[in-house]
Amino acid sequence: MEDFLNVFIKSAFVENLVLSYFLGMCSYLAVSKSVKTAMGLGLAVIFVLGITVPINWLINHYLLSEGGLLGMDLTFLRFILFIAVIASMVQLVEMVIEKMSPALYNSLGIFLPLITVNCAILGASLFMISREYNFSESVAFGLGGGFGWFLAIIAIAAIREKLKYSNIPAPLRGLGIAFIITGLMGMAFMGLMGIDPAIFFSGK
Amino acid sequence: MKRILKYFKKIEPDKLKKPLLFSMWESFFTFFFVPKDTTSGIGTHIKDRMDLKRLMTFVVIGLIPAYIFGIYNIGHQHFLALGQFTDLSAGWNLKIAHGIIKLLPIFVVTMVIGLGWEFVFASKKGEGIEEGFLVSGALIPLIMPPDIPLWILAIAITFAVVLGKEVFGGTGMNIWNVALLARIFVFFAYPLAISGDEVWISGFDKIAAGVSPNYGWFHTGLFNTIFDWFGWAKFDPGWSIVDGFTGATPLAIAKDGGWDAVTQVYSTSDMLWGTIPGSIGETSKPLLLLGGLLILLTGIADWRITISAIIGIALSGFIFNMWGITPLMTIPWYYHFYIGGAVLAIFFMATDPVTASSTFRGKWIYGFMIGVIGMLIRVINPAYPEGWMLAILFMNSFAPLIDHFIISKHIKKRLKSE
Repeated sequence: MEDFLNVFIKSAFVENLVLSYFLGMCSYLAVSKSVKTAMGLGLAVIFVLGITVPINWLINHYLLSEGGLLGMDLTFLRFILFIAVIASMVQLVEMVIEKMSPALYNSLGIFLPLITVNCAILGASLFMISREYNFSESVAFGLGGGFGWFLAIIAIAAIREKLKYSNIPAPLRGLGIAFIITGLMGMAFMGLMGIDPAIFFSGK
Repeated sequence: MKRILKYFKKIEPDKLKKPLLFSMWESFFTFFFVPKDTTSGIGTHIKDRMDLKRLMTFVVIGLIPAYIFGIYNIGHQHFLALGQFTDLSAGWNLKIAHGIIKLLPIFVVTMVIGLGWEFVFASKKGEGIEEGFLVSGALIPLIMPPDIPLWILAIAITFAVVLGKEVFGGTGMNIWNVALLARIFVFFAYPLAISGDEVWISGFDKIAAGVSPNYGWFHTGLFNTIFDWFGWAKFDPGWSIVDGFTGATPLAIAKDGGWDAVTQVYSTSDMLWGTIPGSIGETSKPLLLLGGLLILLTGIADWRITISAIIGIALSGFIFNMWGITPLMTIPWYYHFYIGGAVLAIFFMATDPVTASSTFRGKWIYGFMIGVIGMLIRVINPAYPEGWMLAILFMNSFAPLIDHFIISKHIKKRLKSE
């Protein structure tokens, strides 16, 4: 439980996927024009990350690694299998959103299927491997990373909604100012960098 | 006053022929005078010409006590290091002179660079000059160490004004506090200039026993000559730092030794009145409180933010006291206001009406979160010595989001009730 919360806090705030690794930028910049769509995409990313990272952990642990069921070192298949898992999950999310909320589906447009190639998602799975998380930690990492991404995208969406009324210099309108905002947000998030969440679970 | 008015009218440039000169003239003119346009009777009322400039002038007035004490404390810390004139009032002329020599260049560079950029952008945009930099420019010197290299300061202010404010559309449009952006830029780009124990004591190349102060012409030439006329004490380049002086701030001491170690070096009244090392304007809490109350009572800063930030600090400080596993957690929660920049931050930085939440309920959340996150960074995060700058910038990024949720909640409530 402690490890779970530890990894969750760390991946959501301290090592935010967008603001400290700058992963998943394209949909982050493209879909952050209004809070409502940003929230839809953010929730989709939480869902996809929260499911794919544990599934990929299982695949990596039981199929691909040498000590797994097949008894062979198949780790070179990692990328292709991970992408396949992610793509199928995104397909699932896409179908659910299309059924449940056509308006959101339309406003997300191409960026919903593009979650497949959102580098935050594959990046999280690969981080999970390189940091040698166990299963519960990888669940926490998936959910926490997704939550951090969600938080970042709704924050920038609210800022960009507010900036609609600002007199931004013409050359910077749109993506230009979004990049500047992202950089400044990354700076503001640096305050949490260096916190070791393990301290919250150490007793007296 | 009449004479000043007459003079201003005499030098008034032509608005159409020289727009830049006119807007420059106007910005100085409105500093002294207000137009008398108020309405009476029915219709939209303009009861008072309380414009942006007057709002900002009040904040600047609120900062004056901190400036005066800041000047004195720069000198006082300098002489504490030398072991000369250790009484607060002894050698006052030298302390004031040293403080002015250190603070004046910082102030001038801040104003020239910051207002310079404002002028450049105003003329580019073809608009009148917005004096949004007045408050930021008054705050920036207060949150810098006294020995900050001026070129670093100039770059930081350029960054803050251009990338933090002008690209968003100028005064009133910025998302992050401009003064804090200038400081965070120095903090991450030139960490040696603003962190560690040595930067808070001015006038030395390094802090070690036996090091002599690096007095320049202003010390030994100008001021010594003046003091000579009056027969007062003079600067002596032969002085040197006494044994055992470290210049560590209370927070730096508390990090290793806890609260007991702090009280061995500084008494609580030292910390309260501000005769401790620190950023130029953050040390004296009663004087900051005086200015802070002025802007709270006049309604320029919102009391909700300040009160909720105080609650946030007290509550999280209290929880840390209960917990008490690291040395920093042993600081009693009420003494967290005595050290570091907490008071300056919650009265003058967090309450910036542009970057804070604009809904009432949002202000409570915003202030409370600043208190909590600031304490988290101060106490839990080993990477940074102090948390307010980062906490406020962090919450600045979330202020529009808080507003968004509160406003949409209101809209939903209204829709339901109809």
